Amino acid sequence: MAKILIIEDDPDMVTALRLPLEAEGYEVYVATSGQEGLEKVKEIEPDLIILDVMMETTTAGFQVSLQLRSPDPNSEYAPYRDIPILILTAIHTTTSLRFGPDEAYLPVDDFVDKPVDPEVLLQKVRTLLERAKS
Amino acid sequence: MDLGFALNRLAVATAKALSADVVAVLLPNKAEDRLTVVAAYGIDVEEAEKLLATLPPPIDDAHPPPLPGYASGVCVRLRSGELPFGLLCAYSRHPRQFTPDHVEVLRALADLGTALLQAFEETSTLTQIDAAKSRFIHIATHELRSPITTAQSLVRTVLKGYAGSLSKQQEEIISRIARRLDFLETLVNDLLDFAASKAPELEEAASPVTLNASVGRAALLLQPQAEEKGVNLIVHPCREELAVWATEDSLDRIFTNLISNAVKYTPTGGEVTVSLGRAGEQGWVKVTDTGIGIPEEALPHLFEEFYRAPNARQFAVGTGLGLVIVKELVERYGGRIEVESQEGKGTTFTVTFPLWHPED
Repeated sequence: MAKILIIEDDPDMVTALRLPLEAEGYEVYVATSGQEGLEKVKEIEPDLIILDVMMETTTAGFQVSLQLRSPDPNSEYAPYRDIPILILTAIHTTTSLRFGPDEAYLPVDDFVDKPVDPEVLLQKVRTLLERAKS
Repeated sequence: MDLGFALNRLAVATAKALSADVVAVLLPNKAEDRLTVVAAYGIDVEEAEKLLATLPPPIDDAHPPPLPGYASGVCVRLRSGELPFGLLCAYSRHPRQFTPDHVEVLRALADLGTALLQAFEETSTLTQIDAAKSRFIHIATHELRSPITTAQSLVRTVLKGYAGSLSKQQEEIISRIARRLDFLETLVNDLLDFAASKAPELEEAASPVTLNASVGRAALLLQPQAEEKGVNLIVHPCREELAVWATEDSLDRIFTNLISNAVKYTPTGGEVTVSLGRAGEQGWVKVTDTGIGIPEEALPHLFEEFYRAPNARQFAVGTGLGLVIVKELVERYGGRIEVESQEGKGTTFTVTFPLWHPED
């Protein structure tokens, strides 16, 4: 079954994400900071990453996604470039920051709005995993 | 205009008025407990600082601190109402007598300088307060929203059965918690939007943006909500690009608010129509619904904070802040908002903005 890495510093949010994912049979791993997240990507080689934006800093999640998707072929994260990234956002900050799934600005594949609806989450996870396989 | 420039103009004006060779403006440096030269005419500020600033300030007005190489001088206090005070000093290379008239002119200029300093101080305090307010709203947004959205996510996970099955009664109670949390989220969002609408410095800079794009985005965002409710949401687009001077974020908030209100207060089977166009130099957007309408006696209160019409209270939950935010934002960019309504028939909100022209 697919391995999913949750990078999120709020343990309660981790629970809300972990329960439906585990019920679907996914193997769930957790990192509680951007830095730990990057280390775990190398260690676990997940099939999908769920990433929070605001952690130790308000843009920690952006930094993680920028590192993972670095266009530099010599980047230490080059082997992990193609892992799909699902970002957790609050729709309110989305309207004022205006980020979209845009490779140039914020390299992620899709968004899940907070509060998270478990069915929406599972649907997006399935879609991204299938897209990555093909 | 910055303070340094303004004080230099003061030095120049003083030199001209008194036919002086050198003018120096000295202000107390609170950190070092002495006077420093902040502006000068006829001499470098650094040089004047070297020659003057090490000296103690004079006890009385008439005698300026001596400036080597200059035979005569005259001096008055700046900010004379306060301690420590500053100095406005004029010097002449050759010996001459500064008359009482000269002193009078110098005092008038020093009073202007004092007023200038006070104005700058007040502005800088206001800027600091605004910045602190903006920071607070940003932090509050995250800190207030974050626990609510986490709790909502947990409750949803439980309700959907991912933490084990629930008895009928447990499910009923947790559903109530979910509804309360959803309302709390709306309330916090509206309060924060409201606070942000009162803090224009939080906004990105205004630029020419089109009503068409913003109305399109808002309608797209609310289409699922309308469908779910069985309300027909129709947009009559306008071929002409209607550009106005505003921010995308503000326009999006205005139209999202108006359309979501229309959907919210329209019963299943009803219709919400959004149209836009141009009337002379104005661009207009109309949001019309076949909803519950607004009672005539409620119309004058519609844009008051936390006001909700009695029939709206019965029909749906809300905070009574949405329209206040809309009005604040519409007026910020020179627009107008009007409402026509008939209770039981429906409501039309019309927003008009002056159109932007490239040569503006």
